[in-house]
Amino acid sequence: MRCNQFVLLITGALSIFTPFCVHAQSRDSSLPTSLESNSLESNNQAKSATESATERETKTDTVKQTEPALERETNALQTPAQWLQRLQSLISSANYQVSFVQTTVGKETVPYLWRHGVLDDGTEVEQLNLQNGPGRELIRVDGIVSVFEPDTQPYSIRSRFINGPIPNILLHNPQKLLESYEFVLVGRARVAGRSAQQIRIVSRDNTRFGYQLWLDEESGMLLKLNMLDLQGALLEQIQISAFSVMASPSPYFARINPSSLPEPIMMASSQSRAHGWEVNYLPVGMKEVKRDTRRLALTGQVVEYKMYSDGLVDVSVYVQPIEDALGGDIALRNEVSTFLTLKAGKAQVTVLGEIPLQTAKAIATSISAVNNSND
Amino acid sequence: MTQQQEKLSAFMDGEAEDDKIIDAIKHDAELQAKWQRYHVIRGTMRKEASVAPEMDITASIAAALADEPAIVAPKESRWRSIPIIGNVVPFATQSGQFAVAASVALAVILGVQHLNQPAPSEPFMTAPTAGPQGGLAPVSLEQTRTLPRNDMNEVLEKKRKINALIADHEQQIKLKQVQAEEEEKASDDTNRP
Repeated sequence: MRCNQFVLLITGALSIFTPFCVHAQSRDSSLPTSLESNSLESNNQAKSATESATERETKTDTVKQTEPALERETNALQTPAQWLQRLQSLISSANYQVSFVQTTVGKETVPYLWRHGVLDDGTEVEQLNLQNGPGRELIRVDGIVSVFEPDTQPYSIRSRFINGPIPNILLHNPQKLLESYEFVLVGRARVAGRSAQQIRIVSRDNTRFGYQLWLDEESGMLLKLNMLDLQGALLEQIQISAFSVMASPSPYFARINPSSLPEPIMMASSQSRAHGWEVNYLPVGMKEVKRDTRRLALTGQVVEYKMYSDGLVDVSVYVQPIEDALGGDIALRNEVSTFLTLKAGKAQVTVLGEIPLQTAKAIATSISAVNNSND
Repeated sequence: MTQQQEKLSAFMDGEAEDDKIIDAIKHDAELQAKWQRYHVIRGTMRKEASVAPEMDITASIAAALADEPAIVAPKESRWRSIPIIGNVVPFATQSGQFAVAASVALAVILGVQHLNQPAPSEPFMTAPTAGPQGGLAPVSLEQTRTLPRNDMNEVLEKKRKINALIADHEQQIKLKQVQAEEEEKASDDTNRP
C-alpha cells in the first residue's frame, strides 16, 4: 500500500517508476480485483432491472450506494495497466450498448451505435452501426465480421474484431502497446456525466501522436478518447454519449440469423518478391508487418510495398519507379494521416500513415539499398 | 530596393514612418507581389486557415474535378480477377473528389514548414540499379508552389496518383487485420484451449 501512495504522488512527473509498481502490486491486487468484478456484476444487474426511462436517476442512486465499494475499487486500480485490463475484460465479456461520436479535424461528426453481447452458448456477438446517412453496418459473430454497405454486395471477412473508429488494440490487447507507448494515470475528470479516470498515452520516443483516454470509474468503460499531435492540438476525438451495461445481450442479436450472413472471403496469400531496399529508421516498437509487390487498384501502377505497425498506427512505405510516380516532393495531410513523397534518384519513396511529418520524413530518408543477391 | 523592402516589412508590422510606402506599393508591381507573399508566409506561420492567394488553386481544381468523373472509378475489367479488391474498393469512392481538392491546399501549406530543413545527404538506390543515383531533394516551398496552375491535366494526374496511394494505404490497413487474423487462427487451431 505504501507503493500505492507513492505512485499517486509521482505518476504525473515520474511515470517511469510505475512499471516497477505494477510488479510489486500484482500479488496483493488479485484479491481486490476479484471483489471488484463481483460488485460490478451486481451493479450491472441492478441497472438492467430498472430500464432506460428511469435509468438516469437509478444510476446516480447506484453510485451513491456503492460509494464505499467504489472507494475500494479505485484504490485497487492504481496502475494504468490495471485500468486497461479492466477495460479489456469488460469489452470482451460484458453485454453492453454504447452510443458514441467520432470527430475528426475538418470533418463532420460521425455518430455510431455499438452493441456487444455474449449469447447463452458462449458465442460473442458485436454490432457497429454508422447512424448517419445510408449507414454502414458491421456484424461480428465470433470470428467472422460481415459488412453491409450501401452500393456494395455484403461480404464477410475473418476477424475477431470489428474494425471501427476505436483502435482495436486498445480495447482488446492494450498490453501489446507497452513496448511503444507509455501509459500514465493523469487524474480524475467528469466525462459524459460520470466520474472518469484519465490516462495519457505517449509514444516512448515522442515520434507518434499521443492519446488521452478517459475510463468510467464505476464500470471501466471507455468514455472518451482524444488523439493529439505533438503540439497537443486535437486531431480526432471519440466521445461516448451514452452507454449501458446489461445482464443479458440486446434483443437485437436474437434477430441475427448466422446462416444468412455472407460467407467469409478467402484471402489470396500475397506472393513476396525480395525488395532491393530497406528502411533503416523506425520509431520505437514499430515492426514490419507486411511486404509485397503489387499494382495499385486505382491506377495500376506497380509499387514495392512495406507496412510497419506498432499496433496502434500503421505506416505504409511505397517505392515506385520515378517515371510512374509523382515526380516531385510533396507533403500533405489527409485527415489525420500524413502523406510524404520524396524523389530519390530513380525511385520515388512515399510514406503514409497517422504519424507526424517529421517522423514520416525520418523514415523516408532512412531508406537505403540492400544487396539481396543471396535471397 | 532593399530600403523599399524594409519599409514594406515595417508597414506590415504597423511601424511605417510615413504613408509613402502605400503609394509605392500601389505603383510597383514587384512590391505588390512581395506584399502578397509576405501575407501568405505570415498566414502560414500563424497557421491561419485563410491563405488567400493560394486558395484559387483549390477552387479551380475543385471545378475541374467536378467535370472529371472518371478519376476515382476503378478499372473494373482489369481488377475483377482479384477477389478482394472488387469488394473493398468503395471507400475509395467515398474519399472521392472533395478530398482531392482539399489535399492540394494542404500540400501548399505543409510545404512551407520544410523550407528551413537541411537537405538529407544520404544517397539512395533501389533494387535493379547499382551505385548511388543521387541524393534526396528537400521538400521545399518552391517545389510546392510551382504546381502548374494552368496545366490542369498534370495536376489532376498528380492527384490521381496521390489518391491511388492513399486509397491503397487504407485498404492495406483493412487487409492487414484480416491477414493477421488468419495467421493467428492457423496457429491457434493447434493450441487453443
